[in-house]
Amino acid sequence: MTMFHFFNCAILTFGPHAVYYSATPLSECDTLGTSVKAALVYLGTALVKLVCLATFLQVSENDGFDPYQELLKALIGFIDVAGLYFALTQLTHRNISQNHKFQAVGLGWAFADSVLHRLAPLWVGARGLEFTWDYILQGLEANANLVLSISLAALGSLIWLRKNKPKTLIPIIYACAGIVATMPSITSYPRRGLGWHFPKVVGFELFTSLVMAFISWQLFSACQRPYAALLSPMKFRLPSSFVV
Amino acid sequence: MANSKKPGGLREMLESMYSVIALLFILVACVELCDAAAAVDVYRLIQYDMSGSPFGSRFAALNHHAASLHFPPGVDLSRTVLIIPLRELNITFVREYINQKKPLGGLLVLLPEVLSFKTGGNNQVHEKEKMKNLLAELERLLIHSNIPYPVYFAFENDEIDTVLADIKKNDLMGQPATATTGGYKFVIPTAEPKKVASPTMTNIQGWLSGLKTDGDANQLPTIAIVASYDTFGAAPALSVGSDSNGSGIVALLEISRLFSLLYSNPKTRGRYNLLFGLTSGGPYNYNGTQKWLRSFDQRLRESIDYAICLNSIGSWDNELWIHVSKPPENAYIKQIFEGLSNVAEELDLKVGLKHKKINISNPRVAWEHEQFSRLRVTAATLSELSVTPELLESTGGLFDTRQYVNETAIVRGVKLVAESLARHIYGHQGKNIQIFADESSLAVNPAYIRSWLDVLSQTPRVAPFLSKDDPFVMALKKELAGHVDEVNVQHETLEGIFTFYDSTSARLNIYQVASVTFDLLLLLVLGSYLIVLFSFLVITTRGLDDLISLFRRPPSRKLKTA
Repeated sequence: MTMFHFFNCAILTFGPHAVYYSATPLSECDTLGTSVKAALVYLGTALVKLVCLATFLQVSENDGFDPYQELLKALIGFIDVAGLYFALTQLTHRNISQNHKFQAVGLGWAFADSVLHRLAPLWVGARGLEFTWDYILQGLEANANLVLSISLAALGSLIWLRKNKPKTLIPIIYACAGIVATMPSITSYPRRGLGWHFPKVVGFELFTSLVMAFISWQLFSACQRPYAALLSPMKFRLPSSFVV
Repeated sequence: MANSKKPGGLREMLESMYSVIALLFILVACVELCDAAAAVDVYRLIQYDMSGSPFGSRFAALNHHAASLHFPPGVDLSRTVLIIPLRELNITFVREYINQKKPLGGLLVLLPEVLSFKTGGNNQVHEKEKMKNLLAELERLLIHSNIPYPVYFAFENDEIDTVLADIKKNDLMGQPATATTGGYKFVIPTAEPKKVASPTMTNIQGWLSGLKTDGDANQLPTIAIVASYDTFGAAPALSVGSDSNGSGIVALLEISRLFSLLYSNPKTRGRYNLLFGLTSGGPYNYNGTQKWLRSFDQRLRESIDYAICLNSIGSWDNELWIHVSKPPENAYIKQIFEGLSNVAEELDLKVGLKHKKINISNPRVAWEHEQFSRLRVTAATLSELSVTPELLESTGGLFDTRQYVNETAIVRGVKLVAESLARHIYGHQGKNIQIFADESSLAVNPAYIRSWLDVLSQTPRVAPFLSKDDPFVMALKKELAGHVDEVNVQHETLEGIFTFYDSTSARLNIYQVASVTFDLLLLLVLGSYLIVLFSFLVITTRGLDDLISLFRRPPSRKLKTA
């Protein structure tokens, strides 16, 4: 019964990644290599972040909200952005369209994040006899994280890969990218400072991730509209004769 | 027609919403929002064989769901643990269960916290008599039954009270805990109980020599003061026996201290030797005393004038009893009784004489003095009990805790015995001289009595579970050695009709588990969530046609080839 629970939580945490990969045209374009490379880049950035956190951060005894420490954590969080930049621009990808590239990178990023942060607690904790809601909530958090990673990758690709953007949208794009990049710090305020319980925090994360995803989707399509004729459309359709 | 369809459609939508809400409620109701797993110290019912017949609880490991007394009638409890707080315990219910051999997964009895010697402290017990009687009856029932499932005792605390309240709530809703409905699971992971191989009984004797002048050719006469120090109860890890026989031990130690003060000065040393005996094996027909006496030199045994055995002198008001096995007309018995009565009168209390003949062919030895009498030594037992106890009764059970002992009673008992002994030793019979007067340097020390009583009330002393070098036995020996000239320790094996099994205490883990139904529901929900997500993504990125084509691929291929 408890392995059953572990299985349930595992498919909640990692299932959406697999579903995303197979449902969207990513599986048809064989972008698995991109995702794997993005996951490896995430590992590297995680290590760098770890070293920086260990060097600069002080461990506080109480679980309160210290603005200075949170600011430091947010600054270190920008290493994440640097890692995404590296994954999006420097890795040599095969000839895949831009919107597939950001989706693949975001997917690989989110999958590595889930595996690193959630697999070990899940394996150790969810197999015990005692039932808690924690692991289900953790799975929902992984879902929110997936959405956030893909939106961040989308905004990142807008910033670095797309050369011609409408002038008016550029500050909005940068602002949204900033918000999404510092989302972990933003969620730690209700978690620590206001003392919300875990379900509330997860609800907040889900809500903000959906909102940010919607905004970035709108921005992406707004940047695409003038160039619809030149660039590949979002709906990528192979001719039916290729379906075997 | 379109108008009539609309309200129908709305109703359908509402109905489907209701079913979704109902589904959500079922999901939430299956498992409540959790507390962490609790861990509680539990103490097992004793397991022993007497003449080959098994008694007590025969199992130790536990891994079942929990239910309270409010379980719905007719439900099968063979894989359930019943958790019963003492205040709700109905003796007839338990007796019925045990005598009719109804199947049960396990039994956990919750004792009130005041009885715990670790956390109860010295709080007053409410309704003392009622609780004492209930506990005594429960203990008698459990000790003399053969119970084929684990029985444990635990003390109430906040954690287990909340768990019990939860279990009661679930049971009242008609949902006893099983594998399919979730609830609480009690797990005690211990090994199977094994026999205690060659249990030891340790007798401690202290010898205080009298003053031997040059004119004395023969050995000086001896007076023996004996008390048995081990206990037996339903929960051996809780058998502290404050009254039976903690009070006796404390009195013996205090008497030895007083006489050591007297005997330390040659001018006040009496012409009698004093022999103090702390014997083991008391509940088992005073087996230890018998072995101790048998080990005596013939001359020593003959030199014993008389022996006073102390048994339970901690909770009496005004009357003590002297139990003898020789007829009251016997000169020696008369002497002892008169000596004690005279002192008793002065101390404003009563002593009565009770005569019980011994039957040599009957192996049952109810009082310690009977072991002396069987070897033709004059002896008497001083006790607050007026009725002869049965086998394994009044040996320090669940109710025999510190709160039931009155140290003033012990002080008076010590005064009684010490004064009468001193008058016999120094030949002051009939004279109104108070040797151990209050406010003198030989006064009985209540603080000493209190501190030793506190120590004894926190030490369970069931003989088979005391090893040869048990620290408490060593402490008793050391204390006695400080008051007497010579201390000897004798180790004997507890053989005979009793066999004991180990595993007397354990740690209970309480888990709140989700039912299988909950897991299946969750799987269903997650499966549908993933399917919905899949369809959503396919529709938005590839279009609806592709989604349909996923399910209709083979026929379209056939059409093409055709």
